[in-house]
Amino acid sequence: MSGTLHSSTTVGMEGRQATTPKKESCDQQAKCLKRIQSILDGGATDEEKQYFKDHIEVCQPCIDMYNLEKCIKEALQGKVEKKCCPEKIAAAIQAEITK
Amino acid sequence: MTTMPEIMSDTQLQGYTDEQKYQVFNKEFMPHIDSMYNFAFRLTMDEDDANDLVQDTYLKAFRFISSFEQGTNAKAWLFRILKNSFINDYRKKSKEPAKVDYQDVETTYNSDEASETEHTTDLRFETVQDMIGDEVASALNSLPVDFRTVIILCDIEGFTYEEMAKILDIPIGTVRSRLHRARNLLKDKLKEYAASMGYNKNDD
Repeated sequence: MSGTLHSSTTVGMEGRQATTPKKESCDQQAKCLKRIQSILDGGATDEEKQYFKDHIEVCQPCIDMYNLEKCIKEALQGKVEKKCCPEKIAAAIQAEITK
Repeated sequence: MTTMPEIMSDTQLQGYTDEQKYQVFNKEFMPHIDSMYNFAFRLTMDEDDANDLVQDTYLKAFRFISSFEQGTNAKAWLFRILKNSFINDYRKKSKEPAKVDYQDVETTYNSDEASETEHTTDLRFETVQDMIGDEVASALNSLPVDFRTVIILCDIEGFTYEEMAKILDIPIGTVRSRLHRARNLLKDKLKEYAASMGYNKNDD
């Protein structure tokens, strides 16, 4: 469901010490953000996945966007309370359909 | 790929016996009741309305059970009925304006591609990591209902773009762009919230 890449860690953290400098600005940020969201949602095309793979390790703004998007998605999935249906509602439904 | 027959469709009527109806209902529909309730609650923001909406939806699902094809995606089928009931019966009486202003918001965000990027720059993922669930929920709840809906379906319920397109009766391209805009709005709200709570004090 969620991203297949780096599914349990943030990306780029180790890169802060790497010797290859990363791009500090991204001229396609809006497009990249859409791609990143498709990847995390599991709805990316092969082309989008390939572009992402080639691009993500060299572009700092994209790494930051990826980490933020992933973190928000995880917060929504894991932190926001999931309300459960009161038992009386399930019981009322059963009573109604078996009338 | 799963199919989701129209509720009123008479093309794929299943000749269920009464006993089979109960069986399908209990085996395929009831297991989703908590997800359905959570969706109803996040749409209506009210426990009583959520109770009514879930009941109405399940009773409709039972009434139209012959248009549900066993083995297809029951959860998406139920969510679609719930979403339609919400639009038809609840939106009118909810506290939100009857004419939901997401169209305006959508247009605004559409017209300014550049602003979409700016939204992403100064909220740090560490800030979001520090937030508790209630804070994230408040930000989500403050979004117009159509934007809230796509985020709930995608991020909380894990529906695919294709399933969302069927649930919402909109093309996949619209699902993607509405999600994109919803997330930009959500980031704005999270950023405002973080600023008001002093979450960004360690920014460098």
